[in-house]
Amino acid sequence: MTSADGSRHSAALATHPDPADPTPTPGGRLPRRPGPLTVASVVLLLPLAVLAVTTDRFLTLDNARAILASAAFVGITAIGATLVMIVGSAVSLAVSQTATVVAMVFLVTQHLGLLPAVLVALVCGVVLTAVQGAAVGYWDANPIVLTIAAGFAVGAAATWFSGGTPVYPASDAFVVFNRTLLGLPLSVYALLAVTVLAHWLLRRTTAGRQMYLVGENRAAARAAGLPVGRVTVLAWAFFGGCIAVTGIFLASFNTAATVTLGGTLTLDAIAAVLVGGTAIAGGRGSALQTLGGALLISVISDVLLLRGYSTGMQILVKGLLVLVVVIAVHLRTTRGWR
Amino acid sequence: MSGSAARPALDRVQVRVEGLARAFNGVPAVRDASFTVGPGEIHGLCGHNGAGKSTVVKMLSGQLTPDHGRIAIGGTPVELPSRQAAQRLGVALVDQELSVVPALTVGENMLLGDIDAPLVNRRRTARARCRQILDGMGLEHIRPDQPVTTLGIGERQLVEIAKALSQNARVVILDEPTATLSDVESAHVFAAIRRVAATGCSIIFVSHRLSEVLDLCDRVTVLRDGSTVATTAAEQLTVDELIVQMLGETPHRLAAVAKPATSQAYALRIEGLSVPGRLVNFDLTARAGRIHALAGQLGSGASDVLRALAGLHPKATGNVRLRDRTVPYRDPVAAARDGIAFVSNDRKTEGLFLDKSVAGNLVATRLPHLGRGGVLRPGREQDAVRSIADLAGLPAGRLREPVRALSGGNQQKVFVARCLGRNDVLALLLDEPTRGVDIGGRAAIHRLLREAADAGLVVIFASTELEELLELGDEIITMRDGRIVRRYQGDADGSALMRDMTHGVDQT
Repeated sequence: MTSADGSRHSAALATHPDPADPTPTPGGRLPRRPGPLTVASVVLLLPLAVLAVTTDRFLTLDNARAILASAAFVGITAIGATLVMIVGSAVSLAVSQTATVVAMVFLVTQHLGLLPAVLVALVCGVVLTAVQGAAVGYWDANPIVLTIAAGFAVGAAATWFSGGTPVYPASDAFVVFNRTLLGLPLSVYALLAVTVLAHWLLRRTTAGRQMYLVGENRAAARAAGLPVGRVTVLAWAFFGGCIAVTGIFLASFNTAATVTLGGTLTLDAIAAVLVGGTAIAGGRGSALQTLGGALLISVISDVLLLRGYSTGMQILVKGLLVLVVVIAVHLRTTRGWR
Repeated sequence: MSGSAARPALDRVQVRVEGLARAFNGVPAVRDASFTVGPGEIHGLCGHNGAGKSTVVKMLSGQLTPDHGRIAIGGTPVELPSRQAAQRLGVALVDQELSVVPALTVGENMLLGDIDAPLVNRRRTARARCRQILDGMGLEHIRPDQPVTTLGIGERQLVEIAKALSQNARVVILDEPTATLSDVESAHVFAAIRRVAATGCSIIFVSHRLSEVLDLCDRVTVLRDGSTVATTAAEQLTVDELIVQMLGETPHRLAAVAKPATSQAYALRIEGLSVPGRLVNFDLTARAGRIHALAGQLGSGASDVLRALAGLHPKATGNVRLRDRTVPYRDPVAAARDGIAFVSNDRKTEGLFLDKSVAGNLVATRLPHLGRGGVLRPGREQDAVRSIADLAGLPAGRLREPVRALSGGNQQKVFVARCLGRNDVLALLLDEPTRGVDIGGRAAIHRLLREAADAGLVVIFASTELEELLELGDEIITMRDGRIVRRYQGDADGSALMRDMTHGVDQT
C-alpha cells in the first residue's frame, strides 16, 4: 500500500511540473480508503493484542483484576472529565490538587463518623469544582487559565492546611474502602457505578442532552434560550463529585494524605478521556468511550510492566497513544473521515 | 461633490468590467454585468437584494473567478485568482464587516496583509508611511501608535479605508462602508473617499442608502437580476428613478388582505425599546394571529428589535409585555421561558447544531417537555420528532442524518420547525427567515409562518426582501438608522418600502 502510494505520487509529480500545486487528483484516490480512526485502531490494537496474549501471566484472572483495579482511580475522575469536555469546557488542570484536598478533608473528618466524612468530602469536591464551572458557564471564563489559577489556589490551600506534613486520620473506619468484593476492590465497582450514572445522565436526561448541544455550538444554544450556565455548572459539579470519589479512595488506599497525593491524576484523566475518542472541542463523546480509554491505558501499562519495561517507557507509550488518537479524532471531525 | 477643481476624467477608463457572469451550482447570480470607472471617479453600484452586487464585488477583488466576461484595469485585461493577486494589481477592498484587529495599533493594522511590507519592519519608516497616509485622508488626529480600541466605530472604518490606501491602490471598492455608522461618522468617511478619489484612484461604492449614493457618486450603475440595467450620471437621477431602475416593475401587494386582529387575542407590547447605538425608541403592539414585518437594511435596527426581545442585547432598555406579563428580555433563558422563540439570521453559527441529527435538532429546545423531572422518555421524544417533521414537511427518511447533510432550505425548515407545535411558545421572532433558501423552501417556510400565525402565535420577522415583506406582512414597519420610518397596514407597495428603507423620511 505504502509503495503503491509512493509511486503514484511520484508519477503525479512527473505529470504536474509544479509540485506546490496542492489540488488532489480526484481520480487518483482509492474509493473509500479506511479513515484514520480505523487505521489507528488497527495499528494500535492488533499489535497490542498480539503482545498481550504472548506475554507471560497476562491471561490470568489475577492480572485482569489488577488491570481493572489500576484503571479505577483514574477512570472515576475521567468519567467526570468527560462531561466537562462534552459541555465544551475543554479540561480542568486543577484535578490533582482538588483530589488531594478532598482526601485531606476526608481523613481529618473521620472522627465525625464514616458517612459524614464521605458527605463532607463529596460536598467539598463538588463545591470547589462547581464554582469553577460557574465562572466558565456564566461568565465565559477560559477554563484552562481559570483551572491553572484554581489549581494553584487549591494546592496552596492543601499545603497551608497540612503544614506540608502528611495528614493522618483520627480513626480507621475508612479501611472499608479498601475491601474487596468478589475479588475486586470496591473502587472498581465505584468506577462501574459512576460510568452507568454518567451514561444515563448524558443520554436520558434533559440536562445531559443539553450538555451535548451547548458543547457543540454555544452561540446557538444561547440564542435558543438553553440554560447554558446551569448546564455547564451541572457538568462541573458532577466532575467535582467524581474527583471527590477518587480522592476518598486515594486517601483510604494510602491511609494518609500528603500534598503530592494527587500525583499525575490531572493528566492521566485527560489522557483517558482523549484515548476514548471524546472530542476536546466538545459536543461529542460518551462515558462508555472514556471507560474504554481508561481500560486501554491500563492494559498497555500492564503489558509493559509484565514485560519488564521501565516506568519511563510506560509513560512514553501512553503519550504516543494519546497523540495518535487525538490526531485521528481531529481528522475525523474536520475532514469527516471515519 | 468635491468641487469643480478635480473633476473626474469620465472620458477615460481605469476599470472596465465587461459581460461578467457567474453561477453557483447552475443558478446564475450574475448574468451580464458591465460598467466602466474612470480615474478619480466615484462610481455607485446599486441593486436590490440578490441583484448580484456582492458577487460582482467578489469577482473584482479576486475572491471569485468569473465564468464569463472580462475585467481590465488600466487598459490591460487581468486575471484575479486571489485577493492577493487583486491587491498586487492595485485593487483594494473595504469589506462590509470591519476587519481591523482591535488589539493592535492603528499603524500595525495598516501594515497587516500588506504584501509590500518588508519582512523585518523598520519601525520608523513604517510609522512615517502610516502618518503620511493618515494625513492624506485628513486624519491628523489619529496617531499610528494609538491602539484601535481607543477609536470609535466610524474612525475604525476610516482606518480600514486608510489600510486599503496604504496598499497603493488604484481601485478601492467600498462594500456598504456606512451601514453601521452615524451621520457624522458617514460624513467623515465620505470626505475621506472624496480625497482619495481626488488623487486619481477609482472608487466603487456599494450601498443601500440611495440618497448617499446620489450625493457622493459621479455615476451610478444599477444591477437587476445579475445584469446591468443602466449607468447614469448621478446628477440626472433622483431616488425614485433609481428605485424604478432597481425594481423594474414594482411588486405590489397581492390579494393577501391584511388580517384584522381578533379582539380576544393576546399581544406582545413593546414600548420604548432601545439598544445603545443601534435602536431608538421602538414601539409595537403585535397581536397574536397577525404577522408583523420589519423592513430594514443592515444597520437599520430591524434585526436588533428581534435580538433585544430574544435576550441577546444585554444593554437594551424599554418595556416588553407578553400576555400582560413583563418579559425579562435581557436574559435569553428567561425570554425563552416566557414564550419567546427566536430564529436568528445565521443558522450555521447561531442556529442549528450542525453535527447533530435532524431529530436531535427538532427537539433541541423542547427537551424539558419530553419527560418528567428532567428524565427523558424516549417514546415521547420520537412522537414529538415525528409530528414536527410531519408539520414542517421534512423527509421522514432523513431524520437520523446530521443536519449538515441537508440542503439550505431544509436546514432552515428544521430551524423554524424547532419553534413550532409547542404550547409554550407565544411569540415567534425570525430574522431573515429565508436567507439562502431556494424558491420551494421559501414557499414552504412562508406557509409555516402563516400557519403559526393562524394557530394563534405572535409572529414578527425582519427582512430586506420586498416580495417576502409584501407577501407575508399583515403590518409592515419600515426602519432606517435605528428608527421607525413608517407603518403600513395592508396598503404598501414595493417602491414605497424601498424608498423608506434606503432614503429615510422623518418619523411620522
